[in-house]
Amino acid sequence: MTTAATIQNSMRGNNALPLRPANQVMNLERLGSFHQSRLSFMRTLVRRIMRERWQIEPTRFDLDDDGYGTVVYEVQAPNGLFSFVLFSHYLALENRNDRVIATQWDLTMALVEGPVDQLYLERLKQNVPLQEAGRVDPRVFVLSRANRSARIFDYVVDQLARGAQPDVEQISKVGYLYRTTAVYGSGKLGMADWEKVSTKHKDFSRPFASEMFVCWMLRNFSFLQAEHIARHKSPDTFQAMQPELKRHFGIGNSTGLGMAPFLVNHPMLISNWIEMRELALARIRVLGGINGRVKETLTTLIDRCAQHTRDTATDDESQTEKNLQVVVDLNAMQTYVATSFDTWDGLIAWSEQHCSLQGQEMLVSIMLEIYPELVDDLEDLHSVDEILDLDPIMPLEQLKEVIETRYNWALATDFSADGARETCWYRSEEKMEPRLGNSADEEAKHKQMAMGVGYAVSKCYDQLCAYLTLNPDHNTARFMVARPKMRGIVRRIQSMNRCIYGDIQANLLDRNVLPIHLLRCKLAFFGVGKFDPRSRLWVRNTMFQGAPLLADIGKAFEDDWFMPVAPEQSGNCS
Amino acid sequence: MNISMNELKAALRRCFEASHYFVGNYEDAANMILWLEKHGLKGLAELERLLPYITDDTDKLLSSVLYEDSSSAIIDSHGRSALNCIAASVDLAHAKALISGIATVTVHHCHNRMFILKALTDRGRCGISIAAYWQNGSHTVTEHAAAIRAGARYPSYSEALTNLSASTDLKQTLTIICSSRVDLTASLQLSKGNRNASHMSAEEVAENKANSVEHGIEIEPELWQRINQIGTGILVENNDQSRQGAGGR
Repeated sequence: MTTAATIQNSMRGNNALPLRPANQVMNLERLGSFHQSRLSFMRTLVRRIMRERWQIEPTRFDLDDDGYGTVVYEVQAPNGLFSFVLFSHYLALENRNDRVIATQWDLTMALVEGPVDQLYLERLKQNVPLQEAGRVDPRVFVLSRANRSARIFDYVVDQLARGAQPDVEQISKVGYLYRTTAVYGSGKLGMADWEKVSTKHKDFSRPFASEMFVCWMLRNFSFLQAEHIARHKSPDTFQAMQPELKRHFGIGNSTGLGMAPFLVNHPMLISNWIEMRELALARIRVLGGINGRVKETLTTLIDRCAQHTRDTATDDESQTEKNLQVVVDLNAMQTYVATSFDTWDGLIAWSEQHCSLQGQEMLVSIMLEIYPELVDDLEDLHSVDEILDLDPIMPLEQLKEVIETRYNWALATDFSADGARETCWYRSEEKMEPRLGNSADEEAKHKQMAMGVGYAVSKCYDQLCAYLTLNPDHNTARFMVARPKMRGIVRRIQSMNRCIYGDIQANLLDRNVLPIHLLRCKLAFFGVGKFDPRSRLWVRNTMFQGAPLLADIGKAFEDDWFMPVAPEQSGNCS
Repeated sequence: MNISMNELKAALRRCFEASHYFVGNYEDAANMILWLEKHGLKGLAELERLLPYITDDTDKLLSSVLYEDSSSAIIDSHGRSALNCIAASVDLAHAKALISGIATVTVHHCHNRMFILKALTDRGRCGISIAAYWQNGSHTVTEHAAAIRAGARYPSYSEALTNLSASTDLKQTLTIICSSRVDLTASLQLSKGNRNASHMSAEEVAENKANSVEHGIEIEPELWQRINQIGTGILVENNDQSRQGAGGR
C-alpha cells in the first residue's frame, strides 16, 4: 500500500527517486504541453466505476417524442446511492451560446445524494434549468448544462431513424453529440461543499470525480436520447447505434479563462497533482522493467498516439503545427525504439534532445500507460489539505535563501521591462467572468486579481532585503508585524517551499502570456483530448472519447482507452 | 436563506478585497468569519457589527510593536479590526513561545477580537498551545476566553457577563498566552461577579462544524445581499473592449 510516508521517502532524501526538476516541469509552456494519462481524473473515475461495477439505471424516463422532458438515473455505488437528474428543453438556435453568460441550454443536470422523490424533483425542476439564476441545496453536489452539437446531433438521429449508422469520419470530425458549457461543484449556488463531498461521499472523494461523473453520464444520456428520438421518428426502420461507434463519441467541452485563476489559487493542489505524475514517471525510470512485451506495447502506443494526433482536427495554426511536429516526433521515436532503446532514461534523454515539448510529454503519458502496477496506486493521493501556513520562526536569512532558490525564475524576470506587467486579469461585472485586460486600462489595473505571483515575490524580496539589513536577527513573525502587506506572499512562499514542485514558473502579467497553457494543463489532468484552441483564451476539447459505456459495466474491462483512434466502419452509413 | 461555506468565503473575499484589504489579508478575514460561523460561534453577527466600519482601517496606522523581549511583546493595533492584524500577533506569540517556552503578547486598540479563534486554531494545528483573554462592552462588560491544546483541531471558548466597570483601555485589549511546553486551557471562573457564563467545549465546536458541513450556512438575505453588494466593488464594467478579453465566443 502506498502511504504518505512511502511518498515522502520516494521524493526526498538520499533514497529519493529521480524526479524531473521543478524548473523543467513547472515551465508554463511545458505544463501547456501535457496530455491525458492513466492518472487523469476521467481514467481514474472510469476505473473505479468499472472495477466496482456501479449499478446505474434510469428510474424515471419522461421524454416526449422529440427528446424533451425529464430523466432520472439512480446510481448505486459501493458507499452510497445517488441520483443523476436531467432536464431536456427546446432551445432555439439564436439562444445557443457556449459562454458562461448564456441563460438557456438544451440540457441541464444535477447530481444529487440519495433517491429523488416527486416533491424534490419539482424543486430541482424549478432551479436546475436556471443554473446560476437558481438556487439548490446541499443534497446537490454537481450542477451542469450542455448544448447539442449543431453539426452532428440531427445527422445521427436521421441515420439511426432510417436504419443506418453514423459515418465514422463524421464522428471523428466532431467527436460528440453534446458539449458541456459549465460543470459546477464545490458549493457553488448552494450546493454541498467539497468538504462534505470529500468526507461523506467516498465514491466521489477524489478531485473533480463528481464533475467528471456528470460528464460521463451526459455522454451516456446523449446516446439514449438520440436513439429515443430516432425510434419515435421512424419505429419501423430504426436501428440502435453500434457500441463501438458510441464509444468513439465523447463529450465536447469549451474551456475559457475561468479555469486559469484556479491554478494560481490552488498552488498546493496543482503541485500535488504534478508530484504524483512525476513520481509515476520516476518509478518507471527506476523500476520499470523492459522486455519484449513492454517494447511491443510501447510500439503499439506510439503508433496509436500518432494516429490520434493525426485525427485531431483544429483550425488553430499553432496547434496544427504542434500536432504535425508530434507526429514527426513519434515517428522518430519509433525508429529510436526499434534501434537503440534499452533504458527509459535513455529514451527520455533522447526525447529531450529531439522532440518538441508536446512530443516529450506524450512519451511521459505513454510510459505511464505501460505500467499500471507502478502508477495506479497514486490515483488515491491526488487530494491535499490546501492550507498555506506561515512559518513564524523561520529566520529572515533563510526566507531570503528560499526565495533565491525556489523563485529564482521570478528574481530573474525584469518586471520593469516593456510589457512585463502589461496584462491584468480581472473579473467582469458580467457574471463575474474572468477576463484579460491591459494595464493601461486604469479600472482593470486597479481591480486586477492577484495573478502576478512572480511579481509579488520580487517585490517581497526587495522589501525583505531592505528589512534584513536593518534587522538581521529577526524572524518571519517579526517581519510580518512590520510588513503585514507581505503576509499573503510570504505564507505562499513558505508553503510552496514545502512542496516538491511549487509554483508555476511564469510571469502571468507579461504582454505575451498564453493563458491557454494554464487551461491545457488542468484539462490534461482531467483527461481530455483533441485540444482545439479557438484563441489564446479558450480551447475546445473532447472528454471521454473511447471510454466504456454504461452498458459495458460488468463486462471485461481492459482500461485501454488512452488516445483512442477511430473504429472500423462496419455498418451501413450511406 | 441557506448558502454553502464556499459561497460565503468567496463572497467575503470579494467584500474585503473591495474594502481595500490587501492580498493575503482578505483571504484571512474571510476565513476568520467563516470559521466562527461554521463552528457555531456567530461569525456573521460579528461581521454585521463591523460592516459599517469596514473601510475605516484603510487610513489607520499599521500595527506597531511598543515593547518586546524574548518572551513578551506589546502591540498597538491603532484601532484596527482583528480581521486585519491579529494573525500577525498570534504568530509573534508562537515564535516567542518556541524560543522561550512560554510567551505573552498583549494587543491594544484592537476591535472584533472574537475573530482570533481561527488564528488560535491554526496555531494549535501546528503543534502549539495558545490561549486568549479579552473583555468587551461599554456599559455591561463581558469577558471572553479561548484556548487550544497543542495538536488539537478545535479550541474551547467561554464567555460571561461580569459586574466589572468598563475600562477604555481593557475594552480594546487582548492578551495572548502561548506555550510550546505547557498545554493551556482557558475557561472563565464561576464567581459571584460572573453571570450567564457559557462554555463551548472543543467537542461542541466540532459538532457545530459537522452540522455546517452537512447543511451549509443560514444567513439573512439582507446580510447576504449587503456582502455581495460591497463585493461588486472589484468587478469591472462590461463593455465591448472588456468582452475582447473574455475566453469563449
